[in-house]
Amino acid sequence: MRLLTHNMLSSNVKGVTNGFPLGIEVEKVVEKQVELSADFLINIFSKIEWKALVDASRAVGYAELPDQADASMLDSDEFLRKFHHALLELHLEEGALLCPETGRRFPVNKGIPNMLLHEDEV
Amino acid sequence: MDSVAIFCTGALLACGFYWFFWILGPAEQKGKRAVDLSGGSISAEKVQDNYKQYWSFFRSPKEIEKAEKVPDFVDTFYNLVTDIYEWGWGQSFHFSPSIRGKSHRDATRLHEEMAVDLIGAKVGDRILDVGCGVGGPMRAIAAHSRANVVGITINEYQVNRARQHNKKACLDSLCEVVCGNFLQMSFADNSFDGAYSIEATCHAPKLEEVYAEIFRVLKPGSLYVSYEWVTTDKYRADNPEHVEIIQGIERGDALPGLRSYSDIAETARKVGFEIVKERDLAKPPALPWWTRLKMGRIAYWRNHILVTVLAALGIAPKGTVDVHEMLFKTADYLTRGGDTGIFTPMHMVLCRKPDSPPSSSPADY
Repeated sequence: MRLLTHNMLSSNVKGVTNGFPLGIEVEKVVEKQVELSADFLINIFSKIEWKALVDASRAVGYAELPDQADASMLDSDEFLRKFHHALLELHLEEGALLCPETGRRFPVNKGIPNMLLHEDEV
Repeated sequence: MDSVAIFCTGALLACGFYWFFWILGPAEQKGKRAVDLSGGSISAEKVQDNYKQYWSFFRSPKEIEKAEKVPDFVDTFYNLVTDIYEWGWGQSFHFSPSIRGKSHRDATRLHEEMAVDLIGAKVGDRILDVGCGVGGPMRAIAAHSRANVVGITINEYQVNRARQHNKKACLDSLCEVVCGNFLQMSFADNSFDGAYSIEATCHAPKLEEVYAEIFRVLKPGSLYVSYEWVTTDKYRADNPEHVEIIQGIERGDALPGLRSYSDIAETARKVGFEIVKERDLAKPPALPWWTRLKMGRIAYWRNHILVTVLAALGIAPKGTVDVHEMLFKTADYLTRGGDTGIFTPMHMVLCRKPDSPPSSSPADY
């Protein structure tokens, strides 16, 4: 599961008011190189919750992203490279996502997060 | 006949059988093989029991009191049928209008690409596939638009298959799959630039619930397109043959209750969508979507023989034969639905989530 996807996921357990962002419990992270597309990054930048991305990338062991970012930084190749790497090349293969309010674990196996709720959580 | 002639005849027959069963059998050359048929996440010994439970649950679909049990049974259904679908039909678990001169595969792909053209997906967009199956449409759509597609499906087995297929197709940079229930999606509000569902929302006991969820996760101004399974204006509830056909379709496809075409736009508006376009894609000049089912009669018989032999040998789980037969009978109901014109699997509705009211400022977010 890429951090791009993590940036959209939130806990919808009954009673939770703010389930975003989900914490990350790491067991296995894999890096997979993927071709950089500046168009894609520029388009998607405004849609990304930046702080959640920075925290998530640190959780999986990548600390190169700046704490804050604005659109002018997209002119820098260096920044694009780091943004691209964090967003698309780091995969959480095994581990879990954690609800920020209840601590509920959503397991991640073979790169797939299982977000199915149990009967009593709906 | 002398022994050389007998040997040659035998060899020819053997090659013929091999070609007919093994080469023609699978829907895709490098796809699922008959010896790999399983009950999805259900272990081999439990397949038959699960099938019996599934069948008794869906016997009277309109009387289903335990609507909350439906997701479990939809999950069971897809454990039972995913491998057979992949083997016999392909990776896209839906229908498409036939196109003269084009193969089923191409017709399928064009039908899928049209969905994404309708919502205008482009590079950098995040698109949601609601009920993504093993990801056939997802891959075609990601490849065509170069948008990022996230698929959600309730069935763990399908999620794993989807992921494997994505990797094999080298599309795992654009495609992601999440295991979840589309009635309670774990996506934050306003996260997607577009969404589509191809013949999947029919599994929701209440269409309003899944439409409301899709509405929630879409950004204001974004589009959602759905290809819905519905009864048409030709359907008469007081016609026993019509009722029999529709119930046959519901039972064999894990549907809690087919909706009427007129319910779709009404439900979409109820949750807040504006209707941009609405059309039954099966109506002329489109060529019939059910010819593929009809032409597959010989294929079904061949596959039935194959599956029976494999189950007898203990290679395919016991119960696979029952499931395959159920699907065969269901195919017949679907064909009749097409022939009578009372049913369509591709009632297209294109919806738009209205832009935010001017009072909410994006800068506050």
